[in-house]
Amino acid sequence: LAKTVSRQNGNLMQLVYGRNVTASTTTSQEAHDSSESDDSDEDFFMPKGERTKKLSDNLDVDIVDTEDSSKFNNIQLKDWSDEDLVKSIRDRFVTGDWSKAAQR
Amino acid sequence: MGKTSYVRLKGSRQFRQRLLLATLSSTPILVEDIRSDDTSPGLRPHEVSLLRLIEKVSDDCTVEINETGTKLRYKPGVLMGGKYLVHDCGLSRSMGYFLEPLILIGLFGKKPLSIRLKGITNDSKDPSVDTFRTTTLHMLKRFGVPLEGLELKIESRGAPPLGGGEVVLGVPTVPNSLTASHWVDEGMVKSIRGVTFSTRVSPQIANRMIYAARGVFNRFIPDVHIFTDHRSGPAGGRSPGYGLSLVAETTSGCLISTDVAISYPKADETDAMEDSEEKPEMLPPEDVGVQAASMLLGEIEQGGVVDSTHQGLLFLLCALCPPDVSKVRVGKLTPYGIETLRNIRDFLGVKFVIKPDPTTNTVILKCVGCGLKNLSRKVA
Repeated sequence: LAKTVSRQNGNLMQLVYGRNVTASTTTSQEAHDSSESDDSDEDFFMPKGERTKKLSDNLDVDIVDTEDSSKFNNIQLKDWSDEDLVKSIRDRFVTGDWSKAAQR
Repeated sequence: MGKTSYVRLKGSRQFRQRLLLATLSSTPILVEDIRSDDTSPGLRPHEVSLLRLIEKVSDDCTVEINETGTKLRYKPGVLMGGKYLVHDCGLSRSMGYFLEPLILIGLFGKKPLSIRLKGITNDSKDPSVDTFRTTTLHMLKRFGVPLEGLELKIESRGAPPLGGGEVVLGVPTVPNSLTASHWVDEGMVKSIRGVTFSTRVSPQIANRMIYAARGVFNRFIPDVHIFTDHRSGPAGGRSPGYGLSLVAETTSGCLISTDVAISYPKADETDAMEDSEEKPEMLPPEDVGVQAASMLLGEIEQGGVVDSTHQGLLFLLCALCPPDVSKVRVGKLTPYGIETLRNIRDFLGVKFVIKPDPTTNTVILKCVGCGLKNLSRKVA
């Protein structure tokens, strides 16, 4: 998640749709294939859970079975009694400076 | 049967959206490897329940699930809608999970939809029914959905793990198609509204949550009204719980919402950490109030015309518009929002133009809708 946020300022189109058109669907498969061919014989038998853990470790793809929920729970709560923070969103309220808000 | 070509998909990820988009775009889908590496493989009870729900509101759709539940074949039918339907959502997920796809399915049905849902009304995983009533339904207005018949009545509430809540959802059909929306003006926050819920606990808890939340808002705006909705007896469901749902309204009519719900965890979740305590403590009401208020301020700070929970629905609505340009502004893209954008591209062939707006730290998205018409009505 932190990655998502930090890459915000990069190319968003690339972040969402991948570098080429079908990237988001193929990357996981390609990576899957390559890692399988790399596996030597001793890695052939592996507990199922471990295998997926290993895959998700060296891959930069989303886990295939994530929780399906639209609710965004990962907001870090800030201490809104902090004076600087209060100032930063002061003008988002009607009690703030209207001329500054109009520039948005 | 043999002639239908299925779109092949993998994994249980984004199950809801895949089903929804497959239904709306009449694309048969074949999903494989649904949690096939999991210790308990296959579809979860709520996912099966969602399939049954879609079967209920549509005509001539086929659902085939293999023995272990790791493979699903789904061929959408005609969306019918209808009155006085009843659906039991089960207890593995709350109603928010079902309401989100159901509302879009209802819009593109043949007849207006009116359905009674039973189950959990408020929990921490999905948007609560309060948020749905105060915010989600109002989003549809922007896209030309008639307000008549669009309603959600909360008849009784149910907190997890035992639920016992009942709501009645009414969705009108769109006459022909949605209308594209140019929605970038966030405006300034002019008022904050909210509603608490409390079931099978002391009614005083509601006041404690309100008091704490109001304390946070005092530095920003005086116009804060939070209502209480205390349920006792059968209307309060079968489990104790409480929570707070807040909505900030801006001068341009945007609604930014957050909600927090607290209840005892489910039995299977407590098993893992049972050693330490017998009964887990619930978060005190004061902390719930402060948490909900801080989350709302965080959403306001981010900017955008909707909160991060509603990004997915907003993108879907834009993509379902007639071939006309929609332009919307959101705060930071959420992982769920990004997944939605990918699904929209895969099923509807709509690609958004996404541009960051550095002066306000928001993101502007533009798209040309796929021109989905209400086909069910035309057939009639």
